[in-house]
Amino acid sequence: MTAHPPRIMIVEDEALVALMVEDLLTDFGCEISGSFGAVDDALAYLKDAVAPPPALDGAVLDVNIGGTMVFPVAERLRAAGIPFVFATGYGALPRQGFEDVKVLNKPINPVLLKDAVEAFGKAA
Amino acid sequence: MLNVANAERSEQADHAALITLVETIEALSATRTIEDVAAVVRSAARRISGADGVCFVLRDGDLCWYLDEDAIGPMWKGQRFPMTACISGWAMIHGQTVVIPDIYLDDRIPHDAYRPTFVKSLVMTPVRAKDPIAAIGAYWAVGQTPSVDTVMKLEAMARATAAAIENANLYASLNEALERRTFLLRELDHRVKNTLASVQSIARQTLRTAPSPADFAESFESRLMGLSRAHELLTRRAWGRTDLRDVLEAALQPFGGLADPRFSARGPAISLTAETAVALHMTLHELMVNAAKHGALTAASGQVTVVWRIEEVEGVRNLVLEWVERGGPPVFVPKRQGFGTKLLERGVARDLGGEAKLTYQPKGLTYWLRAPLSDRIVAGPIARTPE
Repeated sequence: MTAHPPRIMIVEDEALVALMVEDLLTDFGCEISGSFGAVDDALAYLKDAVAPPPALDGAVLDVNIGGTMVFPVAERLRAAGIPFVFATGYGALPRQGFEDVKVLNKPINPVLLKDAVEAFGKAA
Repeated sequence: MLNVANAERSEQADHAALITLVETIEALSATRTIEDVAAVVRSAARRISGADGVCFVLRDGDLCWYLDEDAIGPMWKGQRFPMTACISGWAMIHGQTVVIPDIYLDDRIPHDAYRPTFVKSLVMTPVRAKDPIAAIGAYWAVGQTPSVDTVMKLEAMARATAAAIENANLYASLNEALERRTFLLRELDHRVKNTLASVQSIARQTLRTAPSPADFAESFESRLMGLSRAHELLTRRAWGRTDLRDVLEAALQPFGGLADPRFSARGPAISLTAETAVALHMTLHELMVNAAKHGALTAASGQVTVVWRIEEVEGVRNLVLEWVERGGPPVFVPKRQGFGTKLLERGVARDLGGEAKLTYQPKGLTYWLRAPLSDRIVAGPIARTPE
């Protein structure tokens, strides 16, 4: 296990859902490193957060962020070796290049979210 | 002897033309697109009419579009002429077949357009008698009066072509409707799942701060009803844009809406996307419930003023909305932060990249929201786009 609680970033455009994910992750013993409702804000945050040593242990990403696809954020995370999952209401949305990334459906099953976050720790 | 041989040959040619006509009608009945129809007409019309060239002309608004041709020399393929300046236009406007033995003696013919071609005689027949949509032309290099038989065969082909074009149009609109249905079902699925995720969030977070099951049920159902009213409003707008004032009116509906003298509202027309309208509705609903439980709406003399305006800050135009309560019991800063407070301070403001602030003054609560204008928030009335 890591010495500090896992630090997780959230990208989700619906505040209601974001507030819940924040609560759930806090309950699982995680620390919310950042919670963003726009792709640009998340990208700006990553500029510093993924510089070594990374201040981030994983991320939960909604796919469609107010009409903008979250993929640039996913690419940056992948490049920095930070694990992440998608959480989406679009069941079969094309995610070219990210077929291997775990997808959590909405409404979010807290058990599956917990499993996904625990898997971050093992991957790191 | 020679005449008998000629008659026999002509009879054989007629027979072949009839077979071709039947085959063409069969082929036309199997076409699914205008392009397929044009291809069938192009390849068969010459054999059926015995002409030296044929054209397939489509009506394109006020123009005749020479879509395709098959001839001994070039004609007008790909060109467009005004309906009033060519013979296919005349045939379509009048819904009549035209037979012209000598084109240079007929003033309906634009002679300049024909001079570079081989054409001396022609038959032009409209496709679909009522409100023609196309025309088929047959052309001869040697001046002649085309036979009644030839004209009848061309007209039979034109009738089959009309049916084929209508089929192609129906087929295209059916396909479009099916695609749209699939798209709408996918959108509905997405929307339902997101709404369920919102309900999940409301349930979990209401539970987190509810002192008792009865309290949970009351708060949860109140929020659920609020969400339901927001959806009702949006369905009336076909999930298009909604004006801010209508969102406010819907949120205050449990108190009789803006007609209740305790409310006053003023601000310019602001057009919101469906998602933004839902988020703002949730916010106003929380404010209203809080005012009814603890604030200005607990007193008969209480007042709630909602004002909004556009403010420019460092070159960025923002929507600023204020909810101001007066005349209620003295207000104290709450001891603990409930879900309502969290939603007010971090909900819609987070969604819109703005900020929000709750101020607890003894004379009344004030909620302040600022959000930059974007596609989601547009100053001005809802633009009605014709569909």
